[in-house]
Amino acid sequence: MTQTVMEIRDVGLEFRLPRSLADLARNRPGRVVKALNGVSLELKKGETLGVVGESGCGKSTLARCIVRLYAPQHGSIRFDGQDIFTAAAKADRSYNRRVQMMFQDPYSSLNPRMTTGKILAEALRVHKMRPEGGIEGRVAELVDLVRLPQDAAGKLPHEFSGGQRQRIAIARALAVEPEVLIADELVSALDVSVQAQVVNLLLELQERLNLTILFVAHDLRLVRHVSNRVAVIYLGQIVEIGDSETLFSSPSHPYSQALLSAAPSLDPDDKGDAIRLQGELPSPLNVPPGCPFHVRCRHATAFCKTKVPALRPLPGRGEVACHHAEEIIENA
Amino acid sequence: MTSNTPILKVENLCTTFRRGGVALPAVRDVSLSVGKGEVLGLVGESGSGKSVTLRSILGLSRRYREVTGSVEWKGRNLTAMPERKLRRIRGRDIAMIFQEPMTSLNPLLTVGMQLTETLKAHTGLPRAARRARAIEMLDHVGIPAAASRLEEYPHQFSGGMRQRVMIAIALAAEPKLLLADEPTTALDVTIQAQILDLILSLADEMQMGVILVTHDLGVVAQTCEKVAVMYAGRIVEQGAVRQILGAPRHPYTVGLMQSVPQDLPPRTPLYSVPGTPPSLEALPKGCAFAPRCQYRSETCLTARPPLEAVAHGRSAACFNPIAAERGDAA
Repeated sequence: MTQTVMEIRDVGLEFRLPRSLADLARNRPGRVVKALNGVSLELKKGETLGVVGESGCGKSTLARCIVRLYAPQHGSIRFDGQDIFTAAAKADRSYNRRVQMMFQDPYSSLNPRMTTGKILAEALRVHKMRPEGGIEGRVAELVDLVRLPQDAAGKLPHEFSGGQRQRIAIARALAVEPEVLIADELVSALDVSVQAQVVNLLLELQERLNLTILFVAHDLRLVRHVSNRVAVIYLGQIVEIGDSETLFSSPSHPYSQALLSAAPSLDPDDKGDAIRLQGELPSPLNVPPGCPFHVRCRHATAFCKTKVPALRPLPGRGEVACHHAEEIIENA
Repeated sequence: MTSNTPILKVENLCTTFRRGGVALPAVRDVSLSVGKGEVLGLVGESGSGKSVTLRSILGLSRRYREVTGSVEWKGRNLTAMPERKLRRIRGRDIAMIFQEPMTSLNPLLTVGMQLTETLKAHTGLPRAARRARAIEMLDHVGIPAAASRLEEYPHQFSGGMRQRVMIAIALAAEPKLLLADEPTTALDVTIQAQILDLILSLADEMQMGVILVTHDLGVVAQTCEKVAVMYAGRIVEQGAVRQILGAPRHPYTVGLMQSVPQDLPPRTPLYSVPGTPPSLEALPKGCAFAPRCQYRSETCLTARPPLEAVAHGRSAACFNPIAAERGDAA
């Protein structure tokens, strides 16, 4: 359980926007979206790491970096001790097999013209998981594994509901017997009761196959439920990371506090402390200097505007990136 | 606040679509009422008829559906009203906010134009006063530097800001009733909290009734006074939020609540209602929920349970409701 399978160090990624006419007229360079600003985290064998944050904070970008859909400009990602962005690693397809991604939208992530059986068989063939004769049997096994009806292999994606499609996506990811699953908003598009079914399936398969999961989602209740550890991301930086129960029951960073208190409780009498965040997420085109959260933070001081806080461990809690974490906890 | 006479009274509303000669009953026998300043939540899974109910109330795209039953608004029945007269009620008396802030604004018109258009249609204000009112409205919904943003186009606003603009447009003519179709589903929780606070405070200030469609029971718990749970086009349980969420009586409501991961040991299996909702083409003969229900009896398969009072102020459509517990006022 404690063995580190993936080590992400100081990963940074910027997207350059094409120079607009206004930029050309003023003779200035094109603008830059700072999607990730020095993200570091470790994935341990068999754990589920939840990643939460508002839209546009870099959650999905991080997930895509991990599966090499984007190449970060700074930092490194190591899997099993090996940097995944070296030329030798890129030529090696086994990484693609061992780390699999599942996407948010069950309607656009499956080829509408391929039957479930073909979708699964393709994954098996590309990675030569089974000899040609064994493919049919394995497809049937996979369909069974994610509890789809046996005739599912012959059907096209449009014949399935959203929940069933996400099961196909899970089966496709599991077809190649991966060690790490990256679930990017896997159940966000589904109704609660369907969500519950897919989450149950994922938890059960994780137990059985000893999978490591990075669970990116914006539903905080769900992340709390499935994760062992949780990372809170704000404007491309991790502001807090730690044990899921500790973080959710007593968040240390003012942003985590505000984010958690914004999730509506099922109890009408529990109005919460309602720490309402003022304003919106600043644009990643224009990340504020110093602590990126200072413009919305109740506790911000002049110091926060100048110096970026580093992620540091707090006794009895996880790691927090806040200059004033101790005082905030004490006064809470 | 809630004990006033209803401003909107919907009775036995049925909406049926036709596809290739097959009748698809999307909404069946829905009855509900909203009072001044009251917030009613309408919850259910996708396809349960929540949005169609809202649209039927306003008579939107009538061409494609058959609507029966009555929607009583100020003593008049909206379902029988000709389009020309309805248009005077839409936007002025009853306003609607749609789910997707990204697509419900016209991308070619400035936000200011879209706001003043409503005012022009529904109020007698002169041009300068309309502009002043538009600024006031944007300011009211929490858009900073409102005056300068009037000249901007929707793409220059973020999702949360666009939804605020939608709310400003909906509220510009001071409607008596607001129909909000999943106004926060596309937004982040932090922005969701701001938008819901805004709708609540406006409902209170302007004594406006609100029907809030959502699939998030947390949102209902935090914002509504009354709630109606829909399943396969029918209301299966209805009553005060505290009563319904505190001690649900209909098995479907129970299942819906148990699916939400709250107060559970971490990483334990979540409850999920077995099976899937029925298709509208093949609704079961008896109770639509019976095939998925663990409490079903013989009657459930043959007869449709009527929505009946099970306690003071609450009703459920079930032959075998869950026994009252935890001091539910009987």
